[in-house]
Amino acid sequence: MRFQDAAQDARAITYAAIQAEPVVAQAAGLLADATPAQRLLARAVMNGETLDPEGWRTMFPTLFGPDVEPAARERSGAVLAVSLAIADRGDQTRNQLRGALVESLTIELLARRVGTAGVRRERRILFDGVRAEIHPYDVTVERRGAAEAYDCKWGARGINADVLYQLEDARSNAEAEGEVLRVALVVFDTELSCQVRLERQTAAHDQTGLVAIESLGSLAL
Amino acid sequence: MTDAITLGDQAHVALAAYEDLASLAEDIEDEWTYVTDLSAAWRGRIEAVIDERGTETISAIQVSAISRAVDEIARISDPHRAIDWLSTYPQIVLVTLGEQP
Repeated sequence: MRFQDAAQDARAITYAAIQAEPVVAQAAGLLADATPAQRLLARAVMNGETLDPEGWRTMFPTLFGPDVEPAARERSGAVLAVSLAIADRGDQTRNQLRGALVESLTIELLARRVGTAGVRRERRILFDGVRAEIHPYDVTVERRGAAEAYDCKWGARGINADVLYQLEDARSNAEAEGEVLRVALVVFDTELSCQVRLERQTAAHDQTGLVAIESLGSLAL
Repeated sequence: MTDAITLGDQAHVALAAYEDLASLAEDIEDEWTYVTDLSAAWRGRIEAVIDERGTETISAIQVSAISRAVDEIARISDPHRAIDWLSTYPQIVLVTLGEQP
């Protein structure tokens, strides 16, 4: 098993430009240390129709109500501001930024566990005698004997057969070579919604992990 | 003086809006099964809270929060975005009512 950079095609160039937007790193940094309610706020705002910050503060009294400590309210305010900055983009760009955010957040959290040098994005995984997947894996941890591969999704709806096959193929090909490759989905959505999605999937996924919005912190542990 | 609003009252308002959201999401025919399964799962969560705590009075701040969430989903016209909100909106309602999503 070996890892390789993805081809520098038009898709990769567009993707790199989106990833490089400062708002992506800013949002990932804030959400890495956010509470579950703050992550819910971010998801709601970035899915939202309205850009009125006062309306969002009204909708989240557990974050902005009169009983909330000023420091916590300030942090929620920062999450709200960066989420509005992403929401205030055209639909296509917003979708791209949200996807890039989940990947950056995953990288941020994984780096706390394995260090920044071991975490890579947009990498292909190659096996002897196996035709390589065209699509790269969103995030990989490249450590001998303890490699990991992640597919990152904004919502549970993004889970589909292709994604599950790609992850399971990598895991089973690694196993056939006597290597360990942990594979998982990282989804910025609740576990319940992901489980509902997964229940109808016939592609093998019993050995594919699931990191949902409630358990994002586990990536760092 | 206005009458106190119970958790059950406001949660039923929230559920009525959720039905409209689910109807919009069902326009995506390829996702019909997912939409119906997902909305049933979240509806069940909210109904369980109504069964357990429906007679409790909730604060004006909680009423405003849920009303604002209802207003937000009423603005949605894109069925794809409605699917995004099928899991987000019930979580907002549950968190506002002091529940885990």
